[in-house]
Amino acid sequence: MSVGDFGFFVICLTAIVLLAAQAVVHPSEFAQILVFGLADGAIYALVALGYTMVYGIIELINFAHGDVFTLGAYVAAAVMGFFAGTSEDTFSVSNLVALLVTFPAAMLLMGAVNITIERVAYRPLRNAPRLAPLITAIGMSFLLEGIMFVWSGPFTVHVPDLLPHGPGFNTTIGGVFIEFKDVFVVVAAAILVSLLAVFINRSKLGKAMRATAQDRDASQLMGININRTIAATFFIGALLAGAGGVIWGLYFNAITYNLGFRTGLVAFTSAVFGGIGNIPGAALGGMVIGLTAAFSDAYIGSKWTQVVIFGILIGVLVFRPTGLLGMRVPEK
Amino acid sequence: MALLELRGVDAFYGRIQALRGVSIDVGQGEVVALIGSNGAGKTTTLRTISGLMHPTTGTISFNDRDITRVGPDKIVGLGICQSPEGRRLFPRMSVNDNLMMGAFTRTDRPGIASDIERVFVLFPRLRERRNQIAGTLSGGEQQMLAMGRALMARPKLLMLDEPSLGLAPILVETIFSIVREINSQGTPVLLVEQNAHKALEVAHRAYVLETGVIVQTGTGKELLESADVQKAYLGM
Repeated sequence: MSVGDFGFFVICLTAIVLLAAQAVVHPSEFAQILVFGLADGAIYALVALGYTMVYGIIELINFAHGDVFTLGAYVAAAVMGFFAGTSEDTFSVSNLVALLVTFPAAMLLMGAVNITIERVAYRPLRNAPRLAPLITAIGMSFLLEGIMFVWSGPFTVHVPDLLPHGPGFNTTIGGVFIEFKDVFVVVAAAILVSLLAVFINRSKLGKAMRATAQDRDASQLMGININRTIAATFFIGALLAGAGGVIWGLYFNAITYNLGFRTGLVAFTSAVFGGIGNIPGAALGGMVIGLTAAFSDAYIGSKWTQVVIFGILIGVLVFRPTGLLGMRVPEK
Repeated sequence: MALLELRGVDAFYGRIQALRGVSIDVGQGEVVALIGSNGAGKTTTLRTISGLMHPTTGTISFNDRDITRVGPDKIVGLGICQSPEGRRLFPRMSVNDNLMMGAFTRTDRPGIASDIERVFVLFPRLRERRNQIAGTLSGGEQQMLAMGRALMARPKLLMLDEPSLGLAPILVETIFSIVREINSQGTPVLLVEQNAHKALEVAHRAYVLETGVIVQTGTGKELLESADVQKAYLGM
């Protein structure tokens, strides 16, 4: 075990011991924070997957990804507005129909947006120095934020609360208040992540994506069309980000045009924490960062939460750059 | 008409010209060797045939079809497969999964299964290690896997880039005897080698490449006996 691994191990162990102490002393408070953390973490996981998939295949940090997520939430708010008869007070069939249309609409639209971004901003620079596409990625991030700013202004946009809520849709178990939407967020994310895992491991395109991530030239020699494979990676990453945006909107009911900046960075931290390029790592990293944020909010103070999260980012990069599940398999 | 024909192919890396008017034929059933020193353009020739790069002038045709501008994934579909320099395995996939990647363009499951069996008969070591991660194989096993993977596409033309590089002498013998066996089963082979002696022994015909130009050609036997080749490549 290297010094870095040892440091990483000690820090993780300390955090777990401190949290376990809280869990023993104030169990119901601890469990309540856990619920918030899981819901947040599920959304971070969805966004982190897009970062890690794109990094895995073309070694680019797609800074626009957080804004694709936000745009997904904006589109969701707009699509929900088209449906008459929806109600924020009682759950009706119209609400269900609106949700069933909003999810695929926002996801597919974000997929198309991300493919376009790849085509115009990254593909022409694929053989350029690494810094060049990184800068166009930041440019794309500003462009998307600008579009949302022009579309809806600088103010908070309300996303209709169409999920079942209120009496009958929440419960208190052992002093822990759980709403339907808490469960919904975690279950929806778990379903999407499972579908992704099956897709990556079983489908032909998934195999092409894994191969292209490991060796682009060799993949071409296997008959893989790498342009199509890379575009598919952006598409799938954006499906998840779009779904994450809709879920965020339904959960918090408020979005702003620059939401993606912070959320994107947190999700990126999750991806690095799990091991950038590693798909299970991003899902796990998202959950861990979501929980960390919730515990930090409660036990340290919310003003310190960003410090904690980005402190983790620095710590991982210093002590264990390959992340929690990063692999160290010889390449030769 | 030969199976593969290169006519007057020029290729560049940026401003540096790597191939100058290269013309090569590979016929049905042949083993053709391309020999030359480091940087002569051997790998570039294979990359150009595979479509990883395109000639600036000249033409390449395969089975009477012009493939000069065809992309690499389509070329595999047409039946040209390459075991590239440095093996280029998928290091984090198992031996079995690497072989399956070789069959990426195919959909006939029974055929794929029987071809995996055929690869395991050619390379019994791979059968023993079928579930091992490719990145942890020894150099010789990696070379066997790279060749096996290229065979999985049922190539109409197999191209091998430096299959003997970095291997122990006993393994070099094994690899070349397998090249012969693959060819005797009916697959034409275009072989790039620095080990000129071995390559010329196996090859029906050969080309000598020097700084991007074909300087000599003949049967393997003729070149083995040629004074220039002996002096430059056989250390005699």
